[in-house]
Amino acid sequence: MKVKTTRFGELEVNPNDIVTFAEGLLGFENLKKYFVVDPGDSTLILWLQSTEDEKVAFPIIEPKIFKPDYIAKLLPADLNGLELESLQTAKLYAILTIPANVTEMSANLKAPVVINSNKKVGKQIVLQDSKLSVKHEMYKELKVYIVNFSSDDARRTSYEPSIALESGDLKTPAATTTRTLEAQ
Amino acid sequence: MLVLTRKLGESIAIDDNIKIVVVQIKGKQVRLGIKAPKETKIHREEVYQAIQDQNTEAVQANMSDIARLGEELKKK
Repeated sequence: MKVKTTRFGELEVNPNDIVTFAEGLLGFENLKKYFVVDPGDSTLILWLQSTEDEKVAFPIIEPKIFKPDYIAKLLPADLNGLELESLQTAKLYAILTIPANVTEMSANLKAPVVINSNKKVGKQIVLQDSKLSVKHEMYKELKVYIVNFSSDDARRTSYEPSIALESGDLKTPAATTTRTLEAQ
Repeated sequence: MLVLTRKLGESIAIDDNIKIVVVQIKGKQVRLGIKAPKETKIHREEVYQAIQDQNTEAVQANMSDIARLGEELKKK
């Protein structure tokens, strides 16, 4: 199928590559169908392009590239609708904000996008960890990575999944335990 | 919206498994303790607003900025 996009012109997309976000993304709840565009440039940035609104495309990146110790801890409720059979099929991306002053670019580590690459369903997940920022500046780290490793493709794809389950496993989500949270 | 009045130390039960306790009242601030099953997502409302704002900002990225970013990143 052909999809018109503002940034990349008209693209030929295999219908099997279209990912459904049943709940949309926050602020974009009415757009449900996306596909990932890899422009193949040196920035390692991919795009989550809407098929329903040509203007809407989120720049995304694998957070391990600039933050190797980043792990998204998912709660059982986060897995609803993702149909994951294994964490290996889950792809994790952070959405980037790229202002005119590009060195102030930032990644949203608080609410990453998880895509089940087998079932082609995705979800933006708000993580419980209160230390994670929605605006994590990461230009310097990305630059270090690109200057050092960009020619080394093997290294780029050898990452372990950066997703962990808070408790339980995929087939038998954790029993109902209680916890106490305090919000001020 | 259901509005309930509670005193310090009193709580509200939602369903059989969620309990909200007034832990502290200090001037205009109220500290709430929330007991809930592990799978319940609990966030301050501002978190959702902040994410929505980031998403809105993110889709404004234009290709000329990205091209400049690509150049900057390559510089040694």
